[in-house]
Amino acid sequence: MKQDFTIEVAADNNFSILNRIINVLNRRRVRIKRLVAHEDENDFRRGGATMLLHTTPEMIEKVKHQLEKLIEVESAVCYEGSSVYTEISLKNSKQVA
Amino acid sequence: MDALLTKPNETLTTEPKKKISGSEALLRCLVAEGVDTLFGYPGGAIMPVYDALHSYHDQLKHYLVRHEQGAIHAAQGYARVSGKTGVAVTTSGPGAANLITGLADALIDSTPVVCITGQVAEHLLGTDAFQEMDVINTTLPVTKWNVQISKASDIPTQVAKAFYIARSGRPGPVVIDITKNAQFEMMEEFAYEPCRHIRTYAPKPLLDHTQLEKAADLINQAERPYILCGQGVLLSNASQELIALSEKANIPVAATLLGLSAIPVQHPNYVGYLGMHGNYGPNVLTNECDVLIAIGMRFDDRVTGNVSTYARQAKVIHIEIDKAEINKIIKADVGIHADAKEALQALLPLIRKNEHDSWFRKFHEAARSEHEKVIQFDFHPLSDTLRMGEVIRELSELTKGEAIVVTDVGQHQMVTSRYFPFKTARTHVTSGGAGTMGFALPAAVGAKIAQPEKQVVAIIGDGGFQMTVQELGTIMQYNIPVKMLILNNNFLGMVRQWQQLFFEKRYSFTELQNPNFSALADAYSIPAKKIAARPELRNALKDMLEHTGPYLLDVQVEKEENVFPMVPTGAGVGEILLEAPKSNVL
Repeated sequence: MKQDFTIEVAADNNFSILNRIINVLNRRRVRIKRLVAHEDENDFRRGGATMLLHTTPEMIEKVKHQLEKLIEVESAVCYEGSSVYTEISLKNSKQVA
Repeated sequence: MDALLTKPNETLTTEPKKKISGSEALLRCLVAEGVDTLFGYPGGAIMPVYDALHSYHDQLKHYLVRHEQGAIHAAQGYARVSGKTGVAVTTSGPGAANLITGLADALIDSTPVVCITGQVAEHLLGTDAFQEMDVINTTLPVTKWNVQISKASDIPTQVAKAFYIARSGRPGPVVIDITKNAQFEMMEEFAYEPCRHIRTYAPKPLLDHTQLEKAADLINQAERPYILCGQGVLLSNASQELIALSEKANIPVAATLLGLSAIPVQHPNYVGYLGMHGNYGPNVLTNECDVLIAIGMRFDDRVTGNVSTYARQAKVIHIEIDKAEINKIIKADVGIHADAKEALQALLPLIRKNEHDSWFRKFHEAARSEHEKVIQFDFHPLSDTLRMGEVIRELSELTKGEAIVVTDVGQHQMVTSRYFPFKTARTHVTSGGAGTMGFALPAAVGAKIAQPEKQVVAIIGDGGFQMTVQELGTIMQYNIPVKMLILNNNFLGMVRQWQQLFFEKRYSFTELQNPNFSALADAYSIPAKKIAARPELRNALKDMLEHTGPYLLDVQVEKEENVFPMVPTGAGVGEILLEAPKSNVL
């Protein structure tokens, strides 16, 4: 049964990192409902992306491992539902502001 | 997992201040990494590197291939038999694009290769310049990692990182795309330090002893344990540990296509080859074992068939270095995220001695059925025309199973995998996951260069041979003594088999009108022979093997031979067929 998940990815902020992350999702046809990507305000060499995804619990588990397998990805943390997405994306948009 | 691999020069290489170009820095990095062989093809955007290479010919032997796909397959063949990282060099645009098939192949088959591609100068990026292509995004899904370098000073650190990533953990292909300005740019000083750590990358997982104990409990209590051995065993140099585990508790071992050669075929505990055209017992008994021990393999669909009916009765132990493979296809009761060698070494003392005679008997009974229905007719055909099985059998006898065998993709590949008696690790090279026709000829070139003292036989179908036939030029130019054995049925045999069995024999574009392969070889000054009769076979193979240089033997085999056993698409391993359904028999 598909449901909403929030996935928070921390990574090195290299060229193409966002493409690499999106590629993992596209290849498995995982629906991205919302996405926010950012550079760390204290260290431009690091950054991350937070995504609201709509998929099955089995698929989110596989996607998490595939994301963690990317060389530049430090961690991929998964939460059920969309509330964490709202919280994290608000925090990041405040940082940018 | 890099136990077998050549370690980069451990000493920090620093030199007095002397300006060198980015191109020369690249070559010095390669030398520092222990690279001595390159496969490549020059072009506009990589010319500074080739210019620098002219002065490094005593340290870096470069083989000029005839197509960039040949370069990467040769690098793969080199890597697979040597355990070292293979290196391919190409220009930008089409040169880099021609690597794609090989990159995909190396990624799925866990082969360590580093590909260096030239790129247009930095100021031309994104301008649609001549031979400009977005190599990073094009190769992104088919590489373990890739990087673009636009400053000469970045070359040492990024090259070090590339080699570390390619060979560590689950090995794979890495692309280094270097802009032309970076190749020309002069560096103030050169220092090279091998990469030993990347903050976000943990290639060697720590062993979880709780999981090992759970696995040991399952194995010790099992009545019908069964080991599936994949390429991870070869990559971590764990053949001895695998055999020790199998012998201690008397557990039958079957190999995946890429796991072949990890355990000698003649070993009494080896029960056969897995997969769609694997042996009967190893497939069907997957659904009778009580504990399935999968080591360094990824449950490819060609191994599992229909997953919903695969080993449902069994407790599954999955030892795998790539965490993303555990629970990807088959749910593991005990997942062990580890290097195969380390896991087996730690597991072995926890395993009790055991016997499983009645379980082994089931494999022997299945082998007898397979022999009666399939193998005896492959080895001793009733027809006058040669069958692939008898050719491989003769080759096996003449080489005593000691040659390095490189296969392409299709019927000949399956027949070789079933019948060649592999004796030692890393003597089998094939394209597994990607199923890349055209792989064998250039891969055999790389294998022979890596192991010049070994006999290297490329076994290829008439279709696949023509996909990379241009590499005969490479073989001629460097006099590479590769033996080419074409099993020629004037068909794309495996597709034709499927058309016969599942598409009511509508042979849609599978029949090939072939050139005279012997005459083609002659054009490249390569001795060749064509045979079609059984009495000629043994001597023709002997002549090929005894010839000191390259040699091509074109063997005409039965046109419409089918490879059995076979797990039809969508069927489970328990539904494996020993012969065609009656309605499909010719």
